[in-house]
Amino acid sequence: MAESADHVSCQEVVELVTDYLEGALPGDRTALFEQHLNFCEGCVWYVDELRTTVSRLGEIREEHVPPDTRERLLRAFRDWNRS
Amino acid sequence: MIAYKFLNTGGRGVFTRFSWPLPDGGPGEWVDARIVPCRSGIHACRLSDLPLWVGREMYEIELDGEVLDEPTKVVASRGRLLRRVTSWDGDARDAYTRMCADRAHELAASVSPPLDEWDAVVEPSVPEGPALLGFVAARIAEELSCAGGYRTERGRQTEWLVERLGLTPA
Repeated sequence: MAESADHVSCQEVVELVTDYLEGALPGDRTALFEQHLNFCEGCVWYVDELRTTVSRLGEIREEHVPPDTRERLLRAFRDWNRS
Repeated sequence: MIAYKFLNTGGRGVFTRFSWPLPDGGPGEWVDARIVPCRSGIHACRLSDLPLWVGREMYEIELDGEVLDEPTKVVASRGRLLRRVTSWDGDARDAYTRMCADRAHELAASVSPPLDEWDAVVEPSVPEGPALLGFVAARIAEELSCAGGYRTERGRQTEWLVERLGLTPA
């Protein structure tokens, strides 16, 4: 659906959520984003889950990651472009 | 300036989760906040904004200091809750939801062929409450006549709320 000046869709919420959580969304889009959250329980749940995930991940420091997990993650990202 | 504010149960901010000082035999305490629209500041509704932000509890709020007019809200540097709008109760929320649902059906049936796919979402949306049904009715109006229809429908919803809740234009 084309972008509307009056509302955003669930799809647009998914696309904009990172900017919203980082406070990088322009004011008018933030207003539409929050109007959507005001009536869409599914998107509220989605945004809350993502907010929690970002918050938890922000608490993890490199020394908290077990060496084998760290190695598997590095390998996964190294091989990312090869697959 | 007198405006309106919707809050969650117990006077908590819908997005900020801020616990508002509630009126208790008089206005609640003043709350100060630096204005950054959609980030910080006291956000409130003019009458025309009400359908966009319909929520659980509704309060009359006095705004002071710097007050910015935004397209779908006002933002102020300070505000205090004056009183709860008690006419926005469970019955009013249900009646508003039903009004929007009936209007959505009416709009969907007003064209030939009728908008059956839109009509089908109306009743299943009713349990989700007034904010969703207001949006559904406005979206069907938009489907029929573009952005003008959306805004006109929001205007109808404002008129309903003002009359039913006995609100006075500022």
